Amino acid sequence: MTPPEPMAAGPAPGAPDANAGAIYDIGYRGYDGPRLGRQAAVWALFIASLRAAFGLGRSGRAKIVPFGALGFASLPAVVQSAILATAGPVASRVGPGITYDNYLWSSGILAVIFLAAQAPELLGSDLRNRVLTLYFSHALERIDYAMAKLAAMVVGLLIVTVFPLLILFLGQTFAAADLFAGFRDQLGYLPEIVGSGLVYALLLATVGMAISAFTPRRAYATAAIVAVFLVGQALQALLRQAGTGDWSLLLAINAIAEGVRYSVFGGAANGPVAGADLPSFAYLVTAAAVVIGGVGIYTWRYQRIQP
Amino acid sequence: MSLISAQTLTHRYPGDVLALDSLTLEVEPGIIGLVGANGAGKSTFLKILLGLLDPTSGDASVLGFDVRREGTRIRALVGYMPEHDCLPPDLSGTEFVTHMGRMSGLPASAARERAADVLRHVGLYEERYRPIGGYSTGMKQRVKLAQALVHDPKLLLLDEPTNGLDPAGRDEMLQLIRRTGTEFGIATLVASHLLGEIERVCTFLLAIDAGRLLRAAPIATFTERTGTLAVEVEDGAEALAGRLSSAGLRAAASGRIVLVEATDGQPFDTVRDAIDELGLALVRLEQRRHRLEDLFRDEASPEEASDDAA
Repeated sequence: MTPPEPMAAGPAPGAPDANAGAIYDIGYRGYDGPRLGRQAAVWALFIASLRAAFGLGRSGRAKIVPFGALGFASLPAVVQSAILATAGPVASRVGPGITYDNYLWSSGILAVIFLAAQAPELLGSDLRNRVLTLYFSHALERIDYAMAKLAAMVVGLLIVTVFPLLILFLGQTFAAADLFAGFRDQLGYLPEIVGSGLVYALLLATVGMAISAFTPRRAYATAAIVAVFLVGQALQALLRQAGTGDWSLLLAINAIAEGVRYSVFGGAANGPVAGADLPSFAYLVTAAAVVIGGVGIYTWRYQRIQP
Repeated sequence: MSLISAQTLTHRYPGDVLALDSLTLEVEPGIIGLVGANGAGKSTFLKILLGLLDPTSGDASVLGFDVRREGTRIRALVGYMPEHDCLPPDLSGTEFVTHMGRMSGLPASAARERAADVLRHVGLYEERYRPIGGYSTGMKQRVKLAQALVHDPKLLLLDEPTNGLDPAGRDEMLQLIRRTGTEFGIATLVASHLLGEIERVCTFLLAIDAGRLLRAAPIATFTERTGTLAVEVEDGAEALAGRLSSAGLRAAASGRIVLVEATDGQPFDTVRDAIDELGLALVRLEQRRHRLEDLFRDEASPEEASDDAA
């Protein structure tokens, strides 16, 4: 019955390998400390997933796409702010420039790239490596896992959309002759900045995560996400040229997001939304349907998945 | 309160595959072996105990909690080591085990401390800072065990813990399981298709076959001495068997071994004299014990039994 003893057992010091003598086996210790339970676990998973969305704590390669997307999305805001700071308000007369209204529409493709790269990263890795089994055998419920991951993607996208707008915000503030007055002027735009970022982030995240939940293969998920956004965009342009009317605009996720932003916060409409004659409720209802439908499919998938 | 109990527990997978067939059992704390061939229903049973799978019918409870309704409470107290790979290659052992500690609700600092503790306990030292993707199978199995231990569970469920390990790795893993079960007093359920391994670490044995319970008893009762004497000789086993039979013993040769019924009296002298007279070289003389394989040999079909014993 007694097996050979290749490892140090009991209180004998060290293990019989290269570390012998350096490490003392003080035996197993129990844990009597606090157990924070489910909520703490969900919060920890959210934070860990948000870090993973930006490749933090991972190799340098994992950071290229998320930080590349964030950097390129911020570049126009940085450039314009630099011009404003050096050349003064003169620059604002050169052209319309970048505004809170048109920024997200113009940089929308970078948010899509971030989504297409990182949503499969957040979900696919656990599916592919079957880590899901371990999550589901801990204090978490399935829905907890799904929601923590979704929230991490929404916040990740919110950072990608809002961060450049905040740079713009600072640029405008510091360009003002009276710093305090400038800050007060810009402060009024803050709800629009966060609100429009949230609209883009919610719509993109639910679509991307619902797609990523279905395949452990990263490349498939990325391709499918890109396809949904590009095909929707191309299809609506094609259909509207064919004269089907403005409703086909609602096939493009980014156009829906832009429509909601325009409906809620006003300002100038961008892209096809500017030329379309759709009522506000069309954008709002479609957006709500996409988010609810996306979350529904996503949670359904995680309820029935067999790890 | 029993550790694990099941009443007419039945699970049927889609496609009418019967994985568990009205399993009824009651288990007290200890190191419990759950043995059966591949497909006997071991993994299904573990998943039901964890509340990962809902049984088709019947009831089960773990540590007094119902598996259907109190899955979350069970999972907070149980550590599970799945049979298959379940580790992300891009994280280091330390990062991953810490993360899993937090998934059990441990505070961040406690999770880090516990991760360092259990990784040292399973024998991962400097390697624990490297990404898991570069680990050997043995190291991965250790990380899997460590993540099951990180929250100091009351019960460990280990599914084929020696899978993919070389003989030395198996010995080390079994030694770890034995230590965890005896020194630290964590009740452990080890599912395995390898009878020889179960025999070495467990105190209690559950044998299942085709989803039915074959036997549940302390390990000692499986390996009691039998009344059979095994005599191994170099050549001449047939002659020896003939000699012993004519001396009034019930003996039969199989290969180089002669099995002698030793129920009445002591046949040792007779055997010794017979070997001496025939001028044979005696290799081994031992009293046969029941072996776990016999369990399956008796009740399951012979082909299955030989697979089990592999």
